[in-house]
Amino acid sequence: MENIVIQPSERTPEVNFDFVSGRLSIRGEAYPENVSTFFGPVLAALHTYLQTKPDHDVIMDIEMEYFNSSSAKALMNIFQLMDEAVEAGVQAVVRWHYNKDDDIMQEFGEDFSEDLRFLSFEMVEID
Amino acid sequence: MLARSYYQYKQFHDQDGIIFSFSGFISEGILFALGDVLKKQLTSEAADPNKIKRVFSVFVELMQNIIRYSAECIGNIEDVSDKLGWGIVIVGFQDEQFYVSCGNIVSEEKATRLRKHLETLQELGKEELRSYYRGELKEKTENLDKGSNLGLIEIARRSSAPIEFDFLGLDANKVFYCIKSYI
Repeated sequence: MENIVIQPSERTPEVNFDFVSGRLSIRGEAYPENVSTFFGPVLAALHTYLQTKPDHDVIMDIEMEYFNSSSAKALMNIFQLMDEAVEAGVQAVVRWHYNKDDDIMQEFGEDFSEDLRFLSFEMVEID
Repeated sequence: MLARSYYQYKQFHDQDGIIFSFSGFISEGILFALGDVLKKQLTSEAADPNKIKRVFSVFVELMQNIIRYSAECIGNIEDVSDKLGWGIVIVGFQDEQFYVSCGNIVSEEKATRLRKHLETLQELGKEELRSYYRGELKEKTENLDKGSNLGLIEIARRSSAPIEFDFLGLDANKVFYCIKSYI
C-alpha cells in the first residue's frame, strides 16, 4: 500500500509512514483547524496497514512539541489501533521521544501508555 | 474626546497587565494569528519555555471553545474550520502570573453543563486531574472535531490555581459565561 508522507506545517506535524519497512513517525506540533480532516486519513491508512498483519517489526517514533486536546484524542486512537494489532499478533513498538526539560510531554507519554495493554510504549528522553 | 476615551481604554489594559485583548468573531485563522503573536512576544520577553507552552495551550483550548460553543456564530456551523464564534479573549500578566480569560454567550443548557464540569474540576488536585484526563482520553469518540471534556481538563492541568468562572443570565436561553485561568 501507498506510504504516507505529509510535510509539517505551522500547525500540523510531519507524518512519515513507510509501510514497506514498518518505520512510522509523527513529529512536530498538532493543533489542526480540523482534526478529523488531518488525522482521519492517517488513521484509516494505519488501520488498513495493521489489518494486513505485517510480518516485519512495526516501529513508530513520536516526537511532539505541542498538541491540543482534540489531537490528543487522535493520538490515543492511533495507539489504540497499534495496541489492538499487537494483541492480534503484530510485533510493534511506540517510542515516545520528549525533551528532558519538557515535563508536559513526559507526562503525556505516561498518560498515553497507561491504558495500553499489549503495545510496548518506550519513553525516550532527548538531551 | 476621542484620544481621551481611547487613552482610558489603554490605561485599563495597562492596569490589568493585558498583553492583548480581542473581541469579535473568532475563527481558526484568528486563533493561529493571535497564538503566533503570543508565542513570539513571550519568547522575546524570555519567559520560561515550559510556561510559554502552558499559556499557549490554555489559549488554544479557550479559543477553540469559543469557536465551537459560542451561541453567536456565523459561517459554516457544521465545519469547525469554517465557523466563527463571537467572544472576548484576554491574555495578561499580573501579580507575577500569566492569565488567559475569555467570555462568550452560551445556551442555558450548555451553561448548566459547563458549570457542573467546572465545579468538579475546581475540587480536583493535580493528580486527580491527571487521572480524570486519562479516563477521558481513552473514551472512544466518533467525531474528533466535536471536542470533548478534555479541553477544560487540559486548561485545569496547565493552570497554577483552580479555574475561575462566572455566569450572567441574559434571558431565558442565553447566558454570558466567563472563565479565567492563571498560569
